[in-house]
Amino acid sequence: MTEKEIDITKVINPNLIDLHLNGKTKEDVIEELSRLLQKDDDITDIQKFVDDVFNREEEGETGIGQGVAIPHGKSKAVKNTMIAIGLSDHPIPWETLDDQPVTAVILFAVRDQDADTLHLKLLQKVAILLSDDTFIKKLHAATNKDSVIKLLYANRGDD
Amino acid sequence: MKIVCVCACTSGIAHTYLAKAKLEKAATELGDEIHIETQGTIGTENALTPEQIAEADVALLAVDIATTGNERFKNIPTVKVGTSLVVKAPKKLLKKIEEEIKERKSKKE
Repeated sequence: MTEKEIDITKVINPNLIDLHLNGKTKEDVIEELSRLLQKDDDITDIQKFVDDVFNREEEGETGIGQGVAIPHGKSKAVKNTMIAIGLSDHPIPWETLDDQPVTAVILFAVRDQDADTLHLKLLQKVAILLSDDTFIKKLHAATNKDSVIKLLYANRGDD
Repeated sequence: MKIVCVCACTSGIAHTYLAKAKLEKAATELGDEIHIETQGTIGTENALTPEQIAEADVALLAVDIATTGNERFKNIPTVKVGTSLVVKAPKKLLKKIEEEIKERKSKKE
């Protein structure tokens, strides 16, 4: 299976992880994570990107339950298809499938015309990991950036 | 129960694949056989084969958008739901579908 050999660090790096989000609202948190993407030089126009993420939010809830939300924007403002991950010590109100607030937010930034199969495949892999209760528990419990990245590497249940 | 399924969400980035993974897990736990085609930003993957469709008891469309190729399922019972329902309660959904299929079959006989 070649998919397992793909390097997840092509879509995530320590600069794109915040273990203690400050934001108290969905808007604040999306901006906070978008700033990480901007600093990492993955988006060109933060306002345009945030707008596109909110356009997607209007189409349906991105809270998937178990305290996790996966907002995403396919946007012309995205330079590199990447993800940013934020964990929070306080609950953040969000539209979710279980009507509970979230404490983990994974923001997907996708280039508007992404012909880059590799990066999209990596995002798929992250989405698939989120179907696993154990992964979600470990994500919530992560205390350092390395362990978050290691979690994303593991999809064989043998980490 | 043998299921063929198409997953597709609004932006074709995340929910499609999350829904697929959840359904596969639920099907394994329930002893169902499921084949899932995804129609996402990346294009169509794991396209359903005519054989898979011919053998299926039901077609499950877990879609938030209009998908292509639905005419392939014209000869089998078809259930359409949104991806969020699949992500929220995949097992419950499959159990309910199985009950409905049984009911339909018993009515026919």
